[in-house]
Amino acid sequence: MGTIHLFRKPQRSFFGKLLQEFRLVAADRRSWKILLFGAINLTCTGFLLMWCNSTNSIALTAYTYLTIFDLFSLVTCLISYWVMMRKPSPAYSFGFERLEVLAVFASTVLAQLGALFILKESAERFLEQPEIHTGRLLVGTFVALSFNLFTMLSIRNKPFAYVSEAASTSWLQEHVADLSRSLCGIIPGLSSIFLPRMNPFVLIDLAGAFALCITYMLIEINNYFAVDTASAIAIALMTFGTMYPMSVYSGKVLLQTTPPHVIGQLDKLIREVSTLDGVLEVRNEHFWTLGFGSLAGSVHVRIRRDANEQMVLAHVTNRLYTLVSTLTVQIFKDDWIRPALLSGPVAANVLNFSDHHHIIPMPPLKGTDESNPVTSTPAKHSSPPPEFSFNTPGKNVSPVILLNTQTRPYGLGLNHGHTPYSSMLNQGHGVPGIGATQGFRTGFTNIPSRYGTNRIGQPRP
Amino acid sequence: MEEKYGGDVLAGPGGGGGGGLGPVDVSSARLTKYIVLLCFTKLLKAVGLFESYDLLKVVHIVQFIFILKLGTAFFMVLFQKPFSSGKTITKHQWIKIFKHAVAGCIISLLWFFGLTLCGPLRTLLLFEHSDIVVISLLSVLFTSSGGGPAKTRGAAFFIIAVICLLLFDNDDLMAKMAEHPEGHHDSALTHMLYTAIGFLGVADHKGGVLLLVLALCCKVGFHTASRKLSIDVGGAKRLQALSHLVSVLLLCPWVIVLSVTTESKVESWFSLIMPFTTVIFFVMILDFYVDSMCSVKMEVSKCARYGSFPIFISALLFGNFWTHPITDQLRAMNKAAHQESTEHVLSGGVVVSAVFFILSANILSSPSKRGQKGTLIGYSPEGTPLYNFMGDAFQHSSQSIPRFIKESLKQILEENDSRQIFYFLCLNLLFTFVELFYGVLTNSLGLISDGFHMLFDCSALVMGLFAALMSRWKATRIFSYGYGRIEILSGFINGLFLMVIAFFVFMESVARLIDPPELDTHMLTPVSVGGLIVNLIGICAFSHGHNHSHGASQGSCHSSDHSHSHHAHGHSDHGHGHSHGSIGGGMNANMRDACQVLLLRLPPEYEKELHTALEKIQKIEGLISYRDPHFWRHSASVVAGTIHIQVTSDVLEQRIVQQVTGILKDAGVNNLTIQVEKEAYFQHMSGLSTGFHDVLAMTKQMESMKYYKDGTYIM
Repeated sequence: MGTIHLFRKPQRSFFGKLLQEFRLVAADRRSWKILLFGAINLTCTGFLLMWCNSTNSIALTAYTYLTIFDLFSLVTCLISYWVMMRKPSPAYSFGFERLEVLAVFASTVLAQLGALFILKESAERFLEQPEIHTGRLLVGTFVALSFNLFTMLSIRNKPFAYVSEAASTSWLQEHVADLSRSLCGIIPGLSSIFLPRMNPFVLIDLAGAFALCITYMLIEINNYFAVDTASAIAIALMTFGTMYPMSVYSGKVLLQTTPPHVIGQLDKLIREVSTLDGVLEVRNEHFWTLGFGSLAGSVHVRIRRDANEQMVLAHVTNRLYTLVSTLTVQIFKDDWIRPALLSGPVAANVLNFSDHHHIIPMPPLKGTDESNPVTSTPAKHSSPPPEFSFNTPGKNVSPVILLNTQTRPYGLGLNHGHTPYSSMLNQGHGVPGIGATQGFRTGFTNIPSRYGTNRIGQPRP
Repeated sequence: MEEKYGGDVLAGPGGGGGGGLGPVDVSSARLTKYIVLLCFTKLLKAVGLFESYDLLKVVHIVQFIFILKLGTAFFMVLFQKPFSSGKTITKHQWIKIFKHAVAGCIISLLWFFGLTLCGPLRTLLLFEHSDIVVISLLSVLFTSSGGGPAKTRGAAFFIIAVICLLLFDNDDLMAKMAEHPEGHHDSALTHMLYTAIGFLGVADHKGGVLLLVLALCCKVGFHTASRKLSIDVGGAKRLQALSHLVSVLLLCPWVIVLSVTTESKVESWFSLIMPFTTVIFFVMILDFYVDSMCSVKMEVSKCARYGSFPIFISALLFGNFWTHPITDQLRAMNKAAHQESTEHVLSGGVVVSAVFFILSANILSSPSKRGQKGTLIGYSPEGTPLYNFMGDAFQHSSQSIPRFIKESLKQILEENDSRQIFYFLCLNLLFTFVELFYGVLTNSLGLISDGFHMLFDCSALVMGLFAALMSRWKATRIFSYGYGRIEILSGFINGLFLMVIAFFVFMESVARLIDPPELDTHMLTPVSVGGLIVNLIGICAFSHGHNHSHGASQGSCHSSDHSHSHHAHGHSDHGHGHSHGSIGGGMNANMRDACQVLLLRLPPEYEKELHTALEKIQKIEGLISYRDPHFWRHSASVVAGTIHIQVTSDVLEQRIVQQVTGILKDAGVNNLTIQVEKEAYFQHMSGLSTGFHDVLAMTKQMESMKYYKDGTYIM
């Protein structure tokens, strides 16, 4: 609240700031482990690149890129620790959660670009196949494999774990799942390991190592140097297959799209909202994921001219709040400027009432405010009975709801159901004036239902 | 749309026997004799093909096919009596049979020519696939509804097997034979085929492999096409008999001409009677009859599976032992000269490809478990599941590929930005292909690898173009703000791309510093000059594009420029530093911008305006305070914002919304959502079933509100 300083120019140099943030992260005990692994990774990668050079094997190079990808995932892990510590700043008002997503996206895309480079190199190698020296090939494979698996299993990499769970299945996983399904038909005990789907990173590490072993074998036996290129292509394709779904998932988060898996729930909620009393239309809905998981969104709601904005706002927010944590709802009315004097008799009536209604609820609200805080009920019942039900009229009047919902299916019986409702309210709160308007309002009971049913089938942009 | 009742009934009441799940199965005991018969026939067919390979060494291919057809037609006419039984054949049908015969002749010509080229073992591996295998292979390759990962795997195995035969099969002897002297060919036909294969630029046995794959596809198409005709004529057997007869008549004049013009290598035709009889029986008649019988008695898929396995195995065995003394008994029938030849022997590649062929035939012929993409719609009164099968026509109603390309081209050319990228891409590709072509022509490896390099760089341009295309798509439910942000994302990816390129250039230059290679400066100058020209044109073309203050088309421009400057210097070691610097500079700024947008930062170029706007908002009459102001750039054209505003109870919300909207629109925000809250809102919220913490937060908010407007509150 209050003034927000938007202009705090960075004073220090980029590296100075980086060092500061690094110190902040390094203060955490958990990040030591990651840093240690990062250091080992660097040495490991260095050795592997050396061996790639000495063996002249492009398949090993492709496999080394997976180790480099591991380095990126470690960096991502560090970033996620940093993100947890940071609060939103004025410039980054949503917080830094997205940095995690960006890091995941960048590392998966980099892995794919590396694979693309490998494909290009292998295309060149098909023209002239150089000789491969098998000397360090197998050693390199096993060093890389064991290190990758060790990293994967000993470090809990939250962002990547989330993405690999949430993203769609890669083709490699699909094939393994298909094979293992038939395998588990024979040995049921294995299903816990292989099904429903394996960790994609472990899978690609194993598959790459397997391809390299075959390469080694064939080169040793028969000097088929072309196998090296072929398995490089295979590893590159597998890298593509593994990384693609993840980069699509994180890219969609970055593109501010509605995640497909919540669309069903969102639709349901919006249908509920559009059947709320007074709501005419819901439009400009934008829902998107902030980081991994939390939804943000904004929506415009058009309401009837006589509806109570604050109450509709409260109800809409209440509905959507269950799913969307960062929510902004704009309420708007048509023709709100037009003074109450014009227009036909019905509109005049409504306007009369609505003017009335704007002023009337205040005193009871003020009164109840002191007595008990949980009473938005009187104001709420001052509006016509709902089409879809305001089935949460405060915690203290639950029996009334039952009555109300029971009478709902009978349509016309609404009025009958309504009478005890209002009378009870009158008893309960002893607010004069509301009863009077209540009688007046029963004439309008079918207005909301008309609008409500109209809205249901409406296609949304 | 058709509905099938229990199309895929799981474990139907009748199928409870041995089969478990799956379609109702005939008990396997009754099928055993057919399976054994099938296996045996396939074995004999393999023998027959090996035999015919030996025969083809002495007999001309057309003569061979003629004799084969003659013998088959003789027996089939004898057995089937196509003229005395069944309904009479109309003239129209005769024409169709004639066509059938022509096609059959061509296919068998291809088949046996392939046999002479790459030997019986490889012919058997390539050609003896049943229709169902090939059809499911093609459906995996060319349609989207392949039928699950298993089929895809099968198709991949098939392709790997063919590639193994092409690449890893060092059939040395055939390679030797590939240098065939002129005049080796007996006739114009074979010569023509040889030249055709020679034109492809592959060794003969590889040409044979390709030829056989082609023949296989033709065969499947031929079988499918002739199915209707065989029903019209009155059975496949009758059709076969007639067709063989017609093809004998067709080949007759050719054979006569051939035998008159060329002298035969055959010493005595009499000694060839026995081998020909065996070939006719094993390859043509027996196989045909057993196949047709088994396909009646068994499922097609099972037939294919049991048929392919023995034939491949026996092909492998015979391939190993055919020239061995053990099989001399079998060969004894063939009086042809018995040379100790080692041609078309087993090699590692063949064994591997045979294994892959067996696997793929097994996988592809197995009935797909998912069947069509049926969706469960419910259960019938008896409790069997009902599926809804959408025909393929419903799924493929989208536009065809050429049309899609045409439309997208039109869209690209409409807008200035994308048009320039497109032209530049075309220029780039042209240069690349000229380079590649020239490289191939002069056999310069440096040029070719340079061409690949450029192709690699072009992919960035393609991506930029695609992003520019996509960004104009209409907003959908999922992309609720529209697709504009894709351009930013592609700019980011472009930045990453540049980083990767810079990294590789760096690595290469380090490697070259350590171990400098001798440069072949032969073609360096023209190539680098050409690259420079292309690059300059690119810069000129994009100088217009650069005055756009934002938008990621910039990204792609940058990429092209830099990739080229890198490219032009690519081969010499100097200049690396230069291009590096420029890459670094351009990339850094670009990447930072893209990152800031992707991280939903407050747009830096609007910071000042937004700040003053927020100050203005605070001065609006009746406004208490605001919270959660979020402003971010969504795409080049959309700046979105949300803000929550608290007002006193006596003002009209809509007026506030109007004022705030006006102020923020002036500040540059064009997609706004403003939530106006009064005290009543917080009361409602706390009354509604919000969680404890929320209520707490709300009350705090309320407190502050009260505190603020102590004096102003009416009452």
